[in-house]
Amino acid sequence: MTTDPQNQPGFSPAFARGMTSRRMSRRNMLKLGGASVGALSMSSILAACAGTDSTSGQTGGGTAVDFDPANATDSLNFSNWPLYIDKAKGEYPSLNLFKEETGITVNYEDEINDNASFFGELLPQLQAGQDTGRDIVVITNGEYVAAMIQNGWATELDTSRRPNFDANAASWAKSPFYDPGNKYTMAWQSGLTGVGFNTELVNKTPTKLDDLMSTEYFPSASVGVLKSDAPDLVMINLGIDPKTSQQAEWDEAAAWLAQLRDSDTFYAGYDQGYVDDLNAKNLSGSMAWSGDVLYYKIWAGKPYEFIVPGDGALLWIDNMIIPQHAKNPAGALQMMDFFYQPEIAQMVTEWVLYMSPVPEVQDLIAAHGKDEEGSDPEYAQQLADTASNALLWPDEALLGQVSLGRNLTTDAESEAWHATFDPIWEQ
Amino acid sequence: MGQTAAGAPGLIPEGMDLPPARKGERALARRRRTAAYGMLAPGGVYLFLGFVVPLIIIVYTSLTSGGLFTSGGQLTFTWEWSNYQKALSEYGPFYVRSIQYAAIATVLCIGLAYPMAYWIAFYGGRWKSTLFMMILVPFFVSFVIRTVQWNFILGTNGLLLGPLKSAGLVPEDFHVLRTPMAVIAGITYNYMPFAALPLYVALERIDRRLVEAAKDLYASKATAFRKVVLPLSVPGIFAAVILTFVPATGDYVNASVLGGTGTTMIGQIIQDFFLVKHQYSIAAALSVILMAGMLVIALIYARALGTEDSTLAAGAAT
Repeated sequence: MTTDPQNQPGFSPAFARGMTSRRMSRRNMLKLGGASVGALSMSSILAACAGTDSTSGQTGGGTAVDFDPANATDSLNFSNWPLYIDKAKGEYPSLNLFKEETGITVNYEDEINDNASFFGELLPQLQAGQDTGRDIVVITNGEYVAAMIQNGWATELDTSRRPNFDANAASWAKSPFYDPGNKYTMAWQSGLTGVGFNTELVNKTPTKLDDLMSTEYFPSASVGVLKSDAPDLVMINLGIDPKTSQQAEWDEAAAWLAQLRDSDTFYAGYDQGYVDDLNAKNLSGSMAWSGDVLYYKIWAGKPYEFIVPGDGALLWIDNMIIPQHAKNPAGALQMMDFFYQPEIAQMVTEWVLYMSPVPEVQDLIAAHGKDEEGSDPEYAQQLADTASNALLWPDEALLGQVSLGRNLTTDAESEAWHATFDPIWEQ
Repeated sequence: MGQTAAGAPGLIPEGMDLPPARKGERALARRRRTAAYGMLAPGGVYLFLGFVVPLIIIVYTSLTSGGLFTSGGQLTFTWEWSNYQKALSEYGPFYVRSIQYAAIATVLCIGLAYPMAYWIAFYGGRWKSTLFMMILVPFFVSFVIRTVQWNFILGTNGLLLGPLKSAGLVPEDFHVLRTPMAVIAGITYNYMPFAALPLYVALERIDRRLVEAAKDLYASKATAFRKVVLPLSVPGIFAAVILTFVPATGDYVNASVLGGTGTTMIGQIIQDFFLVKHQYSIAAALSVILMAGMLVIALIYARALGTEDSTLAAGAAT
């Protein structure tokens, strides 16, 4: 394949990767986006006010949507997270291949910086029963995906028209509990939330989530928490299945988190951006996303380590969804399935270092590493490390240790959840 | 501050005083009157669309109810006063904290900006404009970027604490980032130009002869400052406090970039409700309370320090 980033003269793959991990770039984007808070929320409100008399958006999906590839139009709007796809010379090689094959031009927008505010951006059009201007969006499993499915804001897919998905999708990507039969969603990439730490700063190598509270393992005032993922991760480590958890279990997790917050080791809670503090050595360890830590370990040579704590890690899946009334659903489904070809999925994984929904990619990357041995030993080694990293290619044992998080599906649940966990950090 | 309005030739009254014979002049006066409306219109429309309309929408939204799952996020107007009850009962302490932080930062801003503005105004000479520009230079960098940079300055091993720690002057586990100290420092830094600007304008306008006169009457330097300069700069202080305190109270950037658990300000809570929880009704109620609270504080403050008095003081300077 000729799509490797380092084929470009004067282009350091390490540098490119530095800009690549999608989660690290989220913080600044969010902050910068803060300036537009007023405008955004105002438009939502206006729509909310105006929307009461319009159709309440229950019209999306259904069988009326035409998925016949013959009727696909020649362009497609795909919204994704920053630097979450292969890129070379300002173009997206995998999307170029898709165009060669189908004639469909994909307008790729890396406009999603976090689920909440992106969802807020779509909300007015979704509520008004209008086209959002996007044919594919990528949203992490959780209440926004649930809301899109429940409110008919996600287009129901024609499950007979995705042969590559049927043939190649990983077990965890097939029929997740929040979308049985993948009727509305197909995984783009996925990852784990566990514990990341700087091996040079910790006093002792941690093995379980409880260690975050102990100065035996972490220096005082040096441990970070991912506020949104923490409840699920904590429940998993308390031996609770977060997917079916209820108020009593939430209270248990909240008590654990309050204890961590009040412990000597605690430094701060994060929405994202903990990586900046890890790099600045303000943190010795933190609840962390696998892709962030792996990137720094493999591509930047930092002394970081990511562990699945003793009782398990949190699995999350970023889902491709076709919003209601999308202009080109046939083209969208074609593209979603296109990325389930191992060679195409490989192009993405070699760039983004998150979990690929196509397990075959592992062997392809290993083979690619061997091919590069002669020409670029360093790159070959990095590819080999990528291919051999257990966290990217979860086996049954690892999958037994991870769980998806709680799916909030009613207003009462959502309210109770936030009332339980938000006050821990809102102090 | 008020001297231009009082001293400049008024547009309309001037025309009214003219003898009736001078018809051309009267037509001119009429034109001037329309011109006044014409000139007010763009700003008025702008203010109406940009402030009055959103204000009405916010108040309206604060009395609605609805949820993402039950009503697809559609809000219905139900006179939902409980939004206010919830906002106040659950988030009251955050208003108090925000006001505390903003008050401390305002005092610091004025404490830091006053001597600076004073020196530039009185001793800046031909460098006045240049020096004053230097205070404003940070404005050429984005607010957020400036604040993010403070992460490096205040980091546990950053520019400030790194050397202090290696010198053994502060304990190894001491940190500033993610504490109230960092948030207040950030707010102070970011809003100081807003304090410096009106202070400088007020100080710059003070008639030097009044200070000389005070000295001629055997006032010491300190007394002259206390009895002449300080009272004459009150309008500047008044404006500086308003311009710093009000936006600082609602600020959420400093607290979210520099703060941590235990430094949450009301601006963050509101932002969270709007952008993360998508509970617009509560968010709107929180905003209305903040706005009303600020208005009340500003009115009390204006009564105490008095805009009218300040204007008179400013007038006396001319």
